[in-house]
Amino acid sequence: MWGLCMEDISRPIKKKDHDSKISGSALYVDDLEMEGILHGKLLHSSKAKARIMNISVPELPEGYYVVDKNDVSGENSVHVVQDDTPVYAKDTVEYVGEPILMVIGPEVKEVERILYEIVVEYEELVPILDMQKSDTVFFNYNYEKGNIDKAMTEADEIMVETFRTGCQEQAYLETQGIIAYPENGRIMVRGSMQCPFYVCRAVAKALGCDQSEVRVIQDTTGGAFGGKEDFPSILACQVAVASKKANKPVKVVYDRREDMEFTPKRHPSICTYKVAIKNGEITGMDIDVLYNSGAYTTLSPVVLQRGLICSSGVYRIENLRVSGRAIKTNTVPSGAFRGFGAPQTFFDIEIMMNHIANKIGMDSLELKEKYMVKQGDETSTSGKYHFHVPLPEMIERIDQLSNYREKLKLYKNQSGRYIKGIGIALFFHGCGFTGRGERDLIKAVVRIRKNVDDTVEILTGSTDMGQGLKTTFCKVVADTLKIPYDNVLIRNPDTDCVPDSGPTVASRSMMIVGGLLKRATEKLKKGWKTGEEQIIEEHFVEPDFIIPFSLEKFKGDAYPTYSWGVNAVEVEIDTLTAVTKIIGAWGVYDVGVPIDMNVITGQMEGGFLQGLGYASMEQMDYNDKGIIRNNNFSDYIIPTAVDVPNLVVDIINNPYIDGPYGAKGAGELAPVGVAPAYLEAVENAIGISLNKIPFTGEDVMRSLQEVRK
Amino acid sequence: MVGAVRPMSLKEALDIMANESVTPYAGGTDLMIKASQDATYLFLDKISEMKKIAEDDRVIRIGAACTFTEIIENILTPTILKEAVSQIAAPAIRNFGTAGGNICNGSPKADSALIFFVTDSKLRLVSNRGERTIGIKDFYLGRNKTVLEKDELLVEILMPKTGIDNYYYKKVGAREALAISRVSFAAILDVQSNRVTKCGTAFGAVSDVIIRREDIDAMLIGTTIEEAKALKEVYLAAYDKAIVPLKGRISAEYRKTVCMNLLRDFFESKL
Amino acid sequence: MLKFILNGKEVTSEAKANERLLDVLRNEFRLTGVKCGCKEGECGACSVIIDGSLANSCMVAMGRVDGSTVVTIEGYRETERFAVLDKAFSSFSAVQCGFCIPGMILASECILNKNPNPTEEVVREGISGNLCRCTGYNAIVKAIQTAAKEGKGLW
Repeated sequence: MWGLCMEDISRPIKKKDHDSKISGSALYVDDLEMEGILHGKLLHSSKAKARIMNISVPELPEGYYVVDKNDVSGENSVHVVQDDTPVYAKDTVEYVGEPILMVIGPEVKEVERILYEIVVEYEELVPILDMQKSDTVFFNYNYEKGNIDKAMTEADEIMVETFRTGCQEQAYLETQGIIAYPENGRIMVRGSMQCPFYVCRAVAKALGCDQSEVRVIQDTTGGAFGGKEDFPSILACQVAVASKKANKPVKVVYDRREDMEFTPKRHPSICTYKVAIKNGEITGMDIDVLYNSGAYTTLSPVVLQRGLICSSGVYRIENLRVSGRAIKTNTVPSGAFRGFGAPQTFFDIEIMMNHIANKIGMDSLELKEKYMVKQGDETSTSGKYHFHVPLPEMIERIDQLSNYREKLKLYKNQSGRYIKGIGIALFFHGCGFTGRGERDLIKAVVRIRKNVDDTVEILTGSTDMGQGLKTTFCKVVADTLKIPYDNVLIRNPDTDCVPDSGPTVASRSMMIVGGLLKRATEKLKKGWKTGEEQIIEEHFVEPDFIIPFSLEKFKGDAYPTYSWGVNAVEVEIDTLTAVTKIIGAWGVYDVGVPIDMNVITGQMEGGFLQGLGYASMEQMDYNDKGIIRNNNFSDYIIPTAVDVPNLVVDIINNPYIDGPYGAKGAGELAPVGVAPAYLEAVENAIGISLNKIPFTGEDVMRSLQEVRK
Repeated sequence: MVGAVRPMSLKEALDIMANESVTPYAGGTDLMIKASQDATYLFLDKISEMKKIAEDDRVIRIGAACTFTEIIENILTPTILKEAVSQIAAPAIRNFGTAGGNICNGSPKADSALIFFVTDSKLRLVSNRGERTIGIKDFYLGRNKTVLEKDELLVEILMPKTGIDNYYYKKVGAREALAISRVSFAAILDVQSNRVTKCGTAFGAVSDVIIRREDIDAMLIGTTIEEAKALKEVYLAAYDKAIVPLKGRISAEYRKTVCMNLLRDFFESKL
Repeated sequence: MLKFILNGKEVTSEAKANERLLDVLRNEFRLTGVKCGCKEGECGACSVIIDGSLANSCMVAMGRVDGSTVVTIEGYRETERFAVLDKAFSSFSAVQCGFCIPGMILASECILNKNPNPTEEVVREGISGNLCRCTGYNAIVKAIQTAAKEGKGLW
């Protein structure tokens, strides 16, 4: 696990938040007590598409209120990328779960009773639930390079395949929760979140006030994975409006069923790949990508962009056309989930390559190695892979660990009750915001303050949601200054005290914000004045090697660099029951330089299991009324400690010139490549071509029966 | 206590049940999912008659308020029951969940009930009006419906002592732990002097009620091993007709296939 | 009035016997280390130890603990055994978002109490009812195994 050359910075250290969390003393939003606090519960639409005709509210006891669109003093819209998400439903509801109103009051049981007695009269309209039947395209991007039409015309053969990926729920252990309260003429908002400044801006807009009148504090956050990127802004607006109305503190914490059913999930997708083959070579790909945005736009444009950029995977495809749409359906708005559009298309391309290999008569890895990119090659969007692509050595490493090549051959044509299979996947994660977001939208700022006692406090808007940012940021500063780690301080961000370093998303935090911290710290080191307070501020500067990205042309360097991954998964299928056991799981990762080996390993291990869930057991469907039925932990199945007992993770060293200590983005890389490795293993075991995830026990059984015919 | 009573003896419990509207609370692990503020719980954990595991001449008596963990750790517990109960949920649930609760919920997915079905166990039901011991099969009327009267308690489960050591058990869930059964299958076979003296199968999580067809199993009882083997296709065909899985979120086809696969595997591995 | 021993001290509660232990621990006794993850006994975030056995406090009615001993993370963290687990968890950086951790620690105690030298299989089985979405479980499992080695004589 330590690799041949581990940097000093990678040596693990005790995490900054270990003590408070392990002792049970860390306070998450639901642990906070406040005098006179009112509890709030939302009334969610029970219809997928309807006009609200009337709402009858029972008589309200003293101290109890109903809050809805009429109480929004600013604009009844939450800014995410666009502004179509309402704070409280307007005249129509667009999905089951859309918040219509909130009941607030001192006693939870009484709030629930009132909520239960409210009657909403709907005029039901016809919802669109099938993404292929939708006529509302929220976003549409297209890009091309080379001459795909020529490649298609001249092809010996054109392979066409359609792939489907399902919904996935983040299933963070701490549900969504926000508290808002008035204080000194301002509104204070705190809770479980990834992006305090997003929340600040959204609340100011909903209240119709200046951002300076809103203060946001991130509380200890019990997991997020993207699920708390945009959603907290919506909930915060609702709670802030309620708090303003009652002029009292209001707390809303979602219960598990509510959270599972009504908060954003990974975009389901349907993608069609047309591949031109000539003389046993891949000469072009024409890819159509369809992502299900759900009822409102929220993060879909950016998710779709990333999905499109990743659609040709790690391969050199010179003649390429990619068209993508994010369409509306009357379902819960899809949002961010670790990987952010990449897991879908990486699944597609990796499985497509397996099928192409099969057609051409090559082993899948052989074909992949033939086409995988190298430093200097063009990216899908005519940018460049500016830096070393370590895939060859990572493939060798995983083959050493897993015996992939040998097993793949061995497992073809098995018989008997138990059949084994192995699969591999090659993938990357583009580090940071897509395109010029860092430069044009985020404009990250960091600050460090050296106190009079020579301790140094880190002031950024970045949030630790478990991924270890507090620890790794402090390591960077401590090591650069050569002062004790314990002398470096960091608190949960408070918008009154920290600058906007941008959202904690896109695996940008260490690479970008950490990079700024390092620069600031180096400046402090040069000008250190013992016993004096000093404040250093740093602003983002785009690296000069970037080929500028144009969203209109969809061309250029979508990302400054990439983190790379290779995954292998080995399965054993019981042909009697179709139960598919994981008997081997390996991940080799390049994140530049791990700022803390334990932290990075933990990220990769956690993400791997999320990827396995995505591939197999995590199925979430809407019924014909637009309702998610498996809205609890007994029916939405995530991996337990006994499901993957043999995961092995290996981190290589491949320093990135523009990252602090050579670090690149890490957090989202892990779940991206697992699903195709899993599915290839199932294909290998059964001897069949597959094209969808989640691939459940029932699906395995159907495949087994098909093969037997 | 407000909202509950905690009798110290069976008689005390039955007296309460005869006169008041109470909800029997064994482990709470199913009951508390939909906890009601208005319910008056009748805690059963102090009733010693329901917490014993004992044996007499022909049966093992398992107290209905014994937790799954107590059942697993008791030396008297038949291995087939130990194996099934060890795969229920996870440690914390097994520490409090009980066989009685598992049975009285009336669910066809109940993992311990499956074992009681296949072993033709009996249930001792007691009330102030008297007591009755019925076969577990007669306890179920349909999905989540049992014959248990409002004033009755399931006190003990009576499992046969012998003839259940040669068994087959498989639980198929969505993952390796914390899994509700999607299909469960148990079977026992007892052979004495080359003759089948006992043959039983039970299928759980497939229909409204656990499927137990002694009439089909009877075809093998009394036969020699060779005779039994010759009846394989007839036996399987009879079950193929008898098992009609309900439609649900897990497809009926899948469940049927798994049932038949496991049944065939039981037959081929044991005979 | 209900009487029980909470984290080593005898306490009383006016809570109704049909209330959830989880709610009473959090709201009346302000023991917020006991987390609520699902309220259906499926995630283990609310784990406590009742009379020496691991329990999901969301699935326990208050009346059931009358006369019992209940241990939460707030009590357990004062013990020597906790100190060993603490060190082991820290050495593997097994705490990420932390929400599952109090439950994991109590589950660890229950594993080691029964099996001072558990195999990896036994460890995994012992935490199979505690869901974690962050860590992938490896670091937690290694931590428990290390605690078993380091805590010689304690369990």
